[in-house]
Amino acid sequence: MNLRVLFKSIKFAFRARRRVFTFIVIYAFLIVMVSRGLASPGEWLLWVFAAFVLATLYAILISQSRAKDIAILKCVSWTNADILLVLIGEVVLVSLTAFLIVFQVSVELLGLVAYFQPAFDVGLFTALQGLLAVPAGDLFVTLFVIVVLQLPGLFLAQRRAMLIAPMRALREE
Amino acid sequence: MVKSIIQLEDVNKEYGRGKKTVAALRHINLDIDQGEFVAVVGPSGCGKSTLLHVMAGLEQPTSGRVLLDAVDVTLIGERDLPKLRAQKIGFVFQAFLLIEDLTAYENVEAVLWPSEEITKEKQEQMTLEVLREVDMLERRDHFPRQMSGGEQQRVAIARALVNRPPILFCDEPTGNLDSKIGETIMKYISDLAKSKGMTVVLVTHNESLTKFAQRVLNMKDGAIR
Repeated sequence: MNLRVLFKSIKFAFRARRRVFTFIVIYAFLIVMVSRGLASPGEWLLWVFAAFVLATLYAILISQSRAKDIAILKCVSWTNADILLVLIGEVVLVSLTAFLIVFQVSVELLGLVAYFQPAFDVGLFTALQGLLAVPAGDLFVTLFVIVVLQLPGLFLAQRRAMLIAPMRALREE
Repeated sequence: MVKSIIQLEDVNKEYGRGKKTVAALRHINLDIDQGEFVAVVGPSGCGKSTLLHVMAGLEQPTSGRVLLDAVDVTLIGERDLPKLRAQKIGFVFQAFLLIEDLTAYENVEAVLWPSEEITKEKQEQMTLEVLREVDMLERRDHFPRQMSGGEQQRVAIARALVNRPPILFCDEPTGNLDSKIGETIMKYISDLAKSKGMTVVLVTHNESLTKFAQRVLNMKDGAIR
């Protein structure tokens, strides 16, 4: 794997701010819900399925919205393997950032409850903790699940990207 | 003896099927020497751009052979074509085709990113050098939307030249520029090609640009006259 292309792809992904920020928020919500789903036997399948659908749609959305850029990169000699790293770069950026946000929020809420509980009424923090915080074990399992669920989507997105001919960039002139 | 770097042998290109078949290229035979500057002129729709795309391996001919530096492009699979493009070809397009989310510097350097043989430092050095050559060093951190058409085209030229290809294909490079800037851009291309001994194939409908070429090919109805 060409790490230089991967790191540059992450930087490149960050330039599509609106899409990336939107999906970071969606993924953070998804991580919380999948973590809860995994903890309750009746719901896990539903949330895992929802995560699968979203991850797949997101990967396809990236390949679609980057179609012209992909065609240009192919014109200047990028291979399909290099193009796959563009897709992976954005997915890595979004998944890891969402994971870190949920992790940070969980740690902060836990800290706030523990710190203020002896002296004050921490009802609000406890409610938020119940709503947003995820236990460490569940969080790491969820990250693993999300990464695995991302793979079919990336595969599909790469298939779509492979079909983008360099000529497409020229036709859109 | 000067060797041929581009050879086309009885190249035909057709679009569509059956009664709707349109012949874009008809029996093209062509030899272009190393270091030669060739202009292909003709009216819109005569097949000039198709000829360029076929030469560059962007489109496969329906029949015939295309050899770039003795390598038959028609026999190379999709997997190996990018490597050939990286080693032998630079492109300059009418619409610049810069990536909007990358700066001028990144647009040029992006050509080199996949190359694991060239170190990061060397990539940076090559990029800065070629941006200096096209006089765009000062604007390297600007995005395409922050640049004029002429500046964008100079970045596109830098991108085409950064990997020092022996062949430069230019498809209406001045088509989106006013005539004065167009002349300047053509002079850049001509001077850079001369100084580096590059082969240039220029496709244009603007006959005034043929003064930069050593040989002019006139195309009509998919054939060279």
